Amino acid sequence: MKKFVFFGGKGGVGKTTVSSAYGLKSAKAGLKTLVVSTDPAHSTSDVFDQQFGDEPAPVEGHDDLWAMEIDPEQEVENHLMEIKRAMGDQVSPGMVNAIDRQVEMAHQTPGAHESALFDRFVDVMQNAEEYDRVVFDTSPTGGTLRLLSLPEFLEGWIERLLHKRKRSIDLFEKAAIGGREPRRMAEGDPIIARLQERKEMFEFAGEVLRTESAYFLVLNPDELSIRETGRAVEELTEYDLGVSGLVINKVTPEPDENESGRGARYLRDRCRTERERIEHIRESFDESVVAVIESRVEEVKGSLLDEVADELDVAVEPTPKSASQPSSES
Amino acid sequence: MSLADRIETYRRHVSEWLRGLYHGLVSHPAYELIEKEAEDIEDEFMLACFPDVFGVPSPISYYTAELLPYLTDEFEAWERRMWDRGSLIERKGQQYHF
Repeated sequence: MKKFVFFGGKGGVGKTTVSSAYGLKSAKAGLKTLVVSTDPAHSTSDVFDQQFGDEPAPVEGHDDLWAMEIDPEQEVENHLMEIKRAMGDQVSPGMVNAIDRQVEMAHQTPGAHESALFDRFVDVMQNAEEYDRVVFDTSPTGGTLRLLSLPEFLEGWIERLLHKRKRSIDLFEKAAIGGREPRRMAEGDPIIARLQERKEMFEFAGEVLRTESAYFLVLNPDELSIRETGRAVEELTEYDLGVSGLVINKVTPEPDENESGRGARYLRDRCRTERERIEHIRESFDESVVAVIESRVEEVKGSLLDEVADELDVAVEPTPKSASQPSSES
Repeated sequence: MSLADRIETYRRHVSEWLRGLYHGLVSHPAYELIEKEAEDIEDEFMLACFPDVFGVPSPISYYTAELLPYLTDEFEAWERRMWDRGSLIERKGQQYHF
């Protein structure tokens, strides 16, 4: 299994439960595991009955398991403050106001949240050396897919900006022949340095997402989430990010044979249609179904989470790169 | 002041004049032309960085905002230049010395 594991899917299908369970499973196999929640509606805290913040914190009662919750709002705010601080260092107070408006505006564009989240993502990936496994519990399909497609898209953009900047500086330098001081110089240009830094970050992210990450989609046996999963698989494949497997969650449990009440009849009917749908999923998707998880009456937490973890037929052992010691297979 | 000194001073004046004339007629316009071209590309760069100034949403304005502290002077001048369409044509015209 790759180092970074992503769980995605439609809203409400149980991504948090599945990713927490997978995190637990990995931790039990002796891997130091970090569960990262990127969903603004954080529920990792609810699953483990413990409040998590922006920094990884050990999960109480479990060895080798850590968790954190990213707050994009806070990230945007931090980014804004950082720019303002840089502005205070660079710019005379008189000019600050003119630029301030632009900076504020940039932080209210629809893309700001995504970018902030993405930055934090990359940050976590860059600083994940001490963990054997990082599990991402992502926000519902649309947002995540856009997020994962960002590196390639942004790389191209930054590339063009860099090219333009370099050309204009080159011309400024040429215009300054004859011992004059050029208006701008390539050497030590903060803009080029900044853009270069960003470009490298996007390249890193793209590389990690393509080669060191595995993607799983969580779905329920209902039409809507099956269709959305189909679209998600298509999109991910388009970005060169293959889906490793599907997790079918919230499957209705079958009643006992001898039961015949109204509830049992209802359940039996439901199970029949769901079984058809599960068959349909198995047939129509190329990706294998790695787990079929029955819905529970109670919230999945505590010992229930262990049960769910056992039901997950997802490999746990790390990729050859970090697999030096034998770890327990699932 | 001897005659030789006076000739020397005269020659210096003439040579300075000639250099000035050459600079004004040939080299400076040439430098200026290159510099204007550089400025134009810089304008393009600014537009690519901050299209949201003109209401065009940019997916990376969040990132380019980081550049603003280093671009303050350029940014203000650029914004003013871009908003003032009349002066854009005028500016383009400046590149040609008739």
